[in-house]
Amino acid sequence: MSDPRPSPFADGVPVARAEGIARDRRPGAAAQSPDTRLAIDIRELVAHGKTELARDRFGELVALHQRRAMRIAYQYLHDAADADEVVQDAFVKVFSHIDTYRETWPFEVWFTRILINGCLDRRKARARRARWFASTDTGHPPEDARPAFGATPQIDPEARLLARERRARLAAAIDRLDGRQRTIFMLSHYGDCTPREVSAMIGLKESTVRVHLFRATRKLRSLLGGRA
Amino acid sequence: MFRAHHIHEERLFECYLTEREGASMEPLVAEHLADCPECAHRYADLQRFMDDLRKEADAELDEVFSAERRRAQQQQIAHRLEQVGHAARIISFPGHPPADHHALPRRQRVAPRWLAAAAAIGLIVGAGLGGVLFRDRPATPVQPPVMGNVGPIEPAFVETRASEPANDVDFLSELEIALERPYTPELVALDALTPHVREVRITRVSR
Repeated sequence: MSDPRPSPFADGVPVARAEGIARDRRPGAAAQSPDTRLAIDIRELVAHGKTELARDRFGELVALHQRRAMRIAYQYLHDAADADEVVQDAFVKVFSHIDTYRETWPFEVWFTRILINGCLDRRKARARRARWFASTDTGHPPEDARPAFGATPQIDPEARLLARERRARLAAAIDRLDGRQRTIFMLSHYGDCTPREVSAMIGLKESTVRVHLFRATRKLRSLLGGRA
Repeated sequence: MFRAHHIHEERLFECYLTEREGASMEPLVAEHLADCPECAHRYADLQRFMDDLRKEADAELDEVFSAERRRAQQQQIAHRLEQVGHAARIISFPGHPPADHHALPRRQRVAPRWLAAAAAIGLIVGAGLGGVLFRDRPATPVQPPVMGNVGPIEPAFVETRASEPANDVDFLSELEIALERPYTPELVALDALTPHVREVRITRVSR
């Protein structure tokens, strides 16, 4: 079960990186990002019993973080259905535990931590299943290779095939990173988190995060031949 | 910091992170990158690699999770949020009645008896009516074969063989017995004019 309680965050509040939020990464930027302020409002509404209104406001929060959350979850799990479920669970968990949110750290950090815990749980469950059940791989292309529901299929099959191969290589390379490096790389590169935010999420020193991030990138470049 | 007058890889990566965060890199490093084409090339390679990774991830995300799917996900989340805070609904299973089922009103337990009584009465009435209506009826008449359901129709004389006169006699005897029944009065006159097969048979045997 994912722990919705985040680790204590160091002083200084980084600005939000969520989709659609103005990104200002300079020190001394606004004290609270829009999504953090929104989360505080929702918490107050829930505390005053205005759950309906809180739900409506929460929709705005979902819209702000959904794309980023999907990107992180999908890069972690490489399965559209699993990623979909994990993101949904994370948002529902955030709303259920919104009363435990404290504005001493940004909402993004809190939410991402919940999301990552969900992804890790899902990976563990998948590994357990893989130990006990035989593979049902029938040689069909993976789900991510198929066009999504409502998506416009690529017209050029060659470009589609090349993109699929490229992504498979990239996914294989990321899977070859060790667990900590992979998490740090995911959060930093796909989650748009600064090393400081990543250190708050996973409870490591910022300098350690930077070292892991550098090593992960170097390994990926060597595995992929310098090209993504 | 510098290795053979070039910027170390780790330092270049730090510069990349700094620029990504929106800050400007150290003046000394920026000056070196401006003066050293090799380091500038390495830095450009690093930036391109990281940007390609990100573009690839975004393209994949857009392909797998279309706008419609994201909207559907938002609706699902909203639907699930409506259930948050509500107690789970317990559905009693028929095979496992609740512990206090003895306290239920007696009316609820009458239904199975009603059903059993109605079934028994229906059975008795049906059997009685069937006996009354079909007691004096002749045997079920021979239905003509349905063309669509049977195979090719073979002529009746195929079964009738000259070497088996006893079967013909039996058949005609049955026919006579059937004609003697009270429900065929129209054939009585014809029956009177026709010699009975069984009489002929008796005569033959007696001779």
